[in-house]
Amino acid sequence: MITGNLKSTYAADEQVFDNRNKKLFFAACILFLVGLGLFANDYVILMACRMGLMLIAVVGLNVVVGYTGQMSLGHAAFVAVGAYTTVVFYHLVGPYFPAGIMTILAFAVAIAVSAFVGLIVGLPSLRVKGLYLAVATLAANFIVIFLIEQDLFKPWTGGMVGTDTPTPNLFGWELDTKREMYAMITTMAVLMLLFVQNLLRTRIGRAFIAIRDRDYSAEIMGISLLRYKLLSFAISAGYCGAAGALWAFFFARILPEQFELTLSLQLVAALIVGGMGRTMGPVFGVIIILLVPELIKLGFGGLTGGDASMGKYRAPLQEIAFGLLIIAFLMFEPLGLVAITDRILRAMNRWPFAR
Amino acid sequence: MKMNRRTMLASSAAAVSVLGTPALLKAAPKDYVIAASLPMTGPFATAGQLVSPIFKMIEVITNANGGIGGVPIRTTVDDSGYVPQNALANYQRSLATEENLVYYFGDSTGFMKLVAPELKGDNATLMGSTSFASELANPAENPYQYLSGPTYQDQFDILLQNIKAQGGTTVAFIYSNTEFGRDPLETGRKKAEELGIKVVLEEATKPQGADIPTHVTKLAQSGAEYCIMHGYVSSVWPQLIGGAKQFGLPTKFMGTFWGMEKLIADKVTAQAGPFLDGYSGVMPYRYFYDNADAPRYQAYAAFAKKAFAGTPLENYLPTWALEGLCSIEIALDAMRTTVEADKPLTADNLAEAVANIKDWDSGGFFGPKVSMNHNKMGVGRVYSYSTETKLFTPTSDWLTT
Repeated sequence: MITGNLKSTYAADEQVFDNRNKKLFFAACILFLVGLGLFANDYVILMACRMGLMLIAVVGLNVVVGYTGQMSLGHAAFVAVGAYTTVVFYHLVGPYFPAGIMTILAFAVAIAVSAFVGLIVGLPSLRVKGLYLAVATLAANFIVIFLIEQDLFKPWTGGMVGTDTPTPNLFGWELDTKREMYAMITTMAVLMLLFVQNLLRTRIGRAFIAIRDRDYSAEIMGISLLRYKLLSFAISAGYCGAAGALWAFFFARILPEQFELTLSLQLVAALIVGGMGRTMGPVFGVIIILLVPELIKLGFGGLTGGDASMGKYRAPLQEIAFGLLIIAFLMFEPLGLVAITDRILRAMNRWPFAR
Repeated sequence: MKMNRRTMLASSAAAVSVLGTPALLKAAPKDYVIAASLPMTGPFATAGQLVSPIFKMIEVITNANGGIGGVPIRTTVDDSGYVPQNALANYQRSLATEENLVYYFGDSTGFMKLVAPELKGDNATLMGSTSFASELANPAENPYQYLSGPTYQDQFDILLQNIKAQGGTTVAFIYSNTEFGRDPLETGRKKAEELGIKVVLEEATKPQGADIPTHVTKLAQSGAEYCIMHGYVSSVWPQLIGGAKQFGLPTKFMGTFWGMEKLIADKVTAQAGPFLDGYSGVMPYRYFYDNADAPRYQAYAAFAKKAFAGTPLENYLPTWALEGLCSIEIALDAMRTTVEADKPLTADNLAEAVANIKDWDSGGFFGPKVSMNHNKMGVGRVYSYSTETKLFTPTSDWLTT
């Protein structure tokens, strides 16, 4: 039983994994991810990669929504910017650099460009809040997709018909299979999750939380709202840009319709279900959002023996189950799955003295 | 043991049966799987739900006729919600879980483009889809994907040929501002110029909920004799025609495949009156009620009468379903050819068989015998709708591109 965490140094206090159970949990997760990469079939790998991509974007959304308390319904735009920046960067400078470093360069540029766009989209957050900000960010989604689809940019973006994407290459290692991409995506997802966890223990992260809890109090305490709100949007958009870059590397083709409002709403839904303002919230949320529909499909397929004529019943069932899940979380556990997990872990830590 | 002729023959037979069994088992799988992604939810759920039952139908009919070389087929359908990534996940799941996946039916141009670069090696599967996008008819880049009819560009060509034949001199293109809507514009302009028809208006609209009075006013200002509408499924095109009739415009309206469904025209007529009378457009297939000398249509009709009793499919299969059926029939034909040639049903062999389809007797879908040319079948004819008979009837011969 763990009754408390003894911290005798400042270094111990700053540790991300401050007790044995957390360390074991993290190690088990890493082992699980490695095992998945080695033994899972292509379909499982595809789903895992989709989860990894979405996770990075939701972690980014969590920075601005969960930690800084700003609403956004336009984060799919940043994913689109990241994805298209990657492709455009390859078109423009690909011939001048060795293929082995292009992936890293394109990844970095995609993050930088998305962060810059995030800064611009974040500007309204200085004047408006809540629903008004949600609408302002929503506009970003439409504007970005509109620009991508324009014939003017067609030579780079492919316009409405989309464009083929480059195959990533890390110092000569061409990642041309889903399994290799899985390795890249999961590694990036874990690193970026750890980075954001660390960010919260810095001055910047604490400023975000102060703004979320009461922005004018934070300003009175000397926190620059201009700087930190925009920084929050930039970091958040950078994360989505990273997700977009990996998206472009993972899918052999990108289309504007992949980054429309539905994706923004999916990101927000994953955050609500998982739990806002918590590191593991996006992880649980993404698993639920992407896995539940697949499990319903598989379960129903098993029950009906894959009968095609039963498909019309499965689809509405899937939608209803999904809707009920969201309603149930909003009504009974607004803090998300992470709060449920917390209670279970707390009970385990204190067993047999707590349930 | 002494070896004589009899023991030698017996030993040889035993050896062949033992050694040959794995090969025989491999040559005769339990079933061949035909899988599909359809939009059972989302904006095109109506179409997806109407099309999904035909997969069971084709499975039953094909298996009753001996399957493919004696091996039955099995069909599965997954919902995509009309999201390309979902359809891609469905495809990957089918690949991972179905050992003998021989054909996949996609639900959108987006999915077909998304999946195209992935169709390599073991990931390759023969594919048809709901789309007639011109970009998909490209055997050099997409050898495994084919269209079961003419491209949208071909359909525009057929309509323009028909306008020319009727003595038309001006045309307006009204299209949804989507990839689907824009697909045939460029070649349409060129074809019109070639035929001496002037394009007096090109007007983009929203795919749904378009601002009808504005578009109708522009059409009136253009003075177009004919108006080709493209990129719509169940809405906008009827409202545009209704708005123009109210405005008193003499313009003749024409549509392409997805705007030519009798169920929609009937519904609009029942709800809003007979303003669609005379509306015409291009259709690659014969309508389902035109089933004289169409053995395949007759077989479907017999099945539908029993299996779909009490549903909208009991007496009529929509054109959307016919497209799916035609695509599957082409694939089945390619499978039979491949099996007869004693080749395994690999994606490469099937793609080759599809590409080599010549003078195919479609059993009702197309009027003349058709051939696969550049992974498409560029045939169609112009039909006109009558609000009195509630039927689309042909007003042209079969036209090819």
